Amino acid sequence: MTITIALPSKGRMKDDASAIFEKAGLKIVAVGNERSYRGRVEGLDNVEIAFLSASEISREIGSGSIDFGVTGEDLIREGLSEADARVEFCARLGFGHADVVVAVPEIWLDVDTMADLGDVAADFRARHGRRLAIATKYWRLTQQFFSAKHGIQLYRIVESLGATEGAPASGSADIIVDITSTGSTLKANHLKILSDGVMLRSQACLVRARKAEHAGDPLVAKIIEAVSGVC
Amino acid sequence: MPLINLPAFAADLLADFERLGTLRVDTPVIQPAEPFLDMAGEDLRRRIFMTESETGKSLCLRPEFTIPVCLRHIETATGTPQRYSYLGEIFRQRREGANEFYQAGIEDLGETDVASADARAIGDAIAILSARLPGRKLNVTLGDQSVFEAVVAACGLPAGWQKRLIHAFGNSAQIDALLTRLSSPQPVTGLSVEIEALLSSGDDATLIAHLDETMEATGYSTNASRSPKEIAERLKEKRALEKTALDGRTLGVLREFLSLNIPLAEAPAALFAFAEKSGLTLDGALSRFDARVAALGNAGVDAKALTYRAAFGRPLDYYTGLVFEIVIEGSSAVLAGGGRFDRLMTLLGAKERIPAVGFALWLDRMEQALAQPKGEAAQ
Repeated sequence: MTITIALPSKGRMKDDASAIFEKAGLKIVAVGNERSYRGRVEGLDNVEIAFLSASEISREIGSGSIDFGVTGEDLIREGLSEADARVEFCARLGFGHADVVVAVPEIWLDVDTMADLGDVAADFRARHGRRLAIATKYWRLTQQFFSAKHGIQLYRIVESLGATEGAPASGSADIIVDITSTGSTLKANHLKILSDGVMLRSQACLVRARKAEHAGDPLVAKIIEAVSGVC
Repeated sequence: MPLINLPAFAADLLADFERLGTLRVDTPVIQPAEPFLDMAGEDLRRRIFMTESETGKSLCLRPEFTIPVCLRHIETATGTPQRYSYLGEIFRQRREGANEFYQAGIEDLGETDVASADARAIGDAIAILSARLPGRKLNVTLGDQSVFEAVVAACGLPAGWQKRLIHAFGNSAQIDALLTRLSSPQPVTGLSVEIEALLSSGDDATLIAHLDETMEATGYSTNASRSPKEIAERLKEKRALEKTALDGRTLGVLREFLSLNIPLAEAPAALFAFAEKSGLTLDGALSRFDARVAALGNAGVDAKALTYRAAFGRPLDYYTGLVFEIVIEGSSAVLAGGGRFDRLMTLLGAKERIPAVGFALWLDRMEQALAQPKGEAAQ
């Protein structure tokens, strides 16, 4: 059986992923020229490498059309319902760190916790004639965190596909849910992270689609063992 | 559109609705999604079927009837009181069971005699289920948010706490967590020296002006979202309460109330005894509660068959008073669910307050119950 591993197709994520695989004794070589979107592992004939964008990797691993993928935990958990039942997080790779956080304007001096935010959300409609608006691209994670974990139901999500941090100042939303690695962009936009507002500490992971045919496959076991051994 | 998959008892059900003097209405299957998400919250998004029109408007397949029936009432400027009935398909993403199924129900809009309207809704739901599911023993559970609101108010809790408790009512995990949190002081920390000074000076105007200036300076509009005044007020409230904790006695009173689970016939006396023992004045709420129990008696509903569970509610802000659920004894499948939603009509755009109470029947579960031999509860 051929095993397909999807790796990020560009940027730091691509370089870091290749470095980890090489360290694990799975040196990746491109098929054809340097910019090819296909590759293979030196010395392993039945492994194929596909270079895909990080969000594509999450989708393809969910549909099971690839066996392994390297992508951010945030994208997997946002992209797939019941992620843990569908994929296995085999190894956390130690790069691509980013936290998914709830951030509110710094000037909201009275709001430090999700409980505070729940209070504000409960009252919002009566005061402003509309629900509290959250700008984010993380629909699923936001719903799980607000509704299931903190019992906050009364808010609306405003889809934001870029420059989410600017939404509160521009007036298109009241607060945001976004990723941050250093917090500097949040600070520049006068936003603060709630004390219990870290929804997910994400990093690049090796994930496996849970497929029945993987059971007892020595190649699958070898890949997991080799990569986890160097993280 | 002739439907051939209707439950066998649908015609009888429609006859029941007609006999009860309701006006049957239909609403489009494709609905604007906004009102549902606005009323029930974003969590609904993953449980409904959404799509978009070519112009980008969010649409969904009708997930329930109450909101469409109420919107129709507002749009057609129909006078009140008015009792509507409906029977049709609704669409929801469910882990188990079909994604499209039938629901029927009654919405009673504008009846100002609240006790009678509540009693009639419960009575109608019981009568219809008894007629369509002969020989099954029905269990009716009833709750009332307004009694909890009265208890919380009578305990003399700070206004902010009252709001939080009422908001969490109906979600037992949430209310437990909240009671625990309120039982220890919540200090306000992390404020700058400048804000601390303004806060302790008691000079509200200067504090608000300072917040206003900071927002202007950092590019935040002072009226698009929370205003400087709103932030200052809530900050002051937090500061005033930071050394306060829910005392053990009040906590005990609240927990005792929330644990009440008794036959409805005994509830008026039990609530009276609870109020006396706890030293709470609940007169208004208790007399309204008693009036409903009396109205149930007048409507021929046997209060002995009903259970009052004090903690039973729905954590949605438009439910205001009565809620009820009906199951077959020994089963957990809710066949009918209803309640009072006096706040919904104005939230949906009605010019004046229209009291409203209604219930929905889950026809697929009724069919399943019919398929089970009598006396053997469906699981």
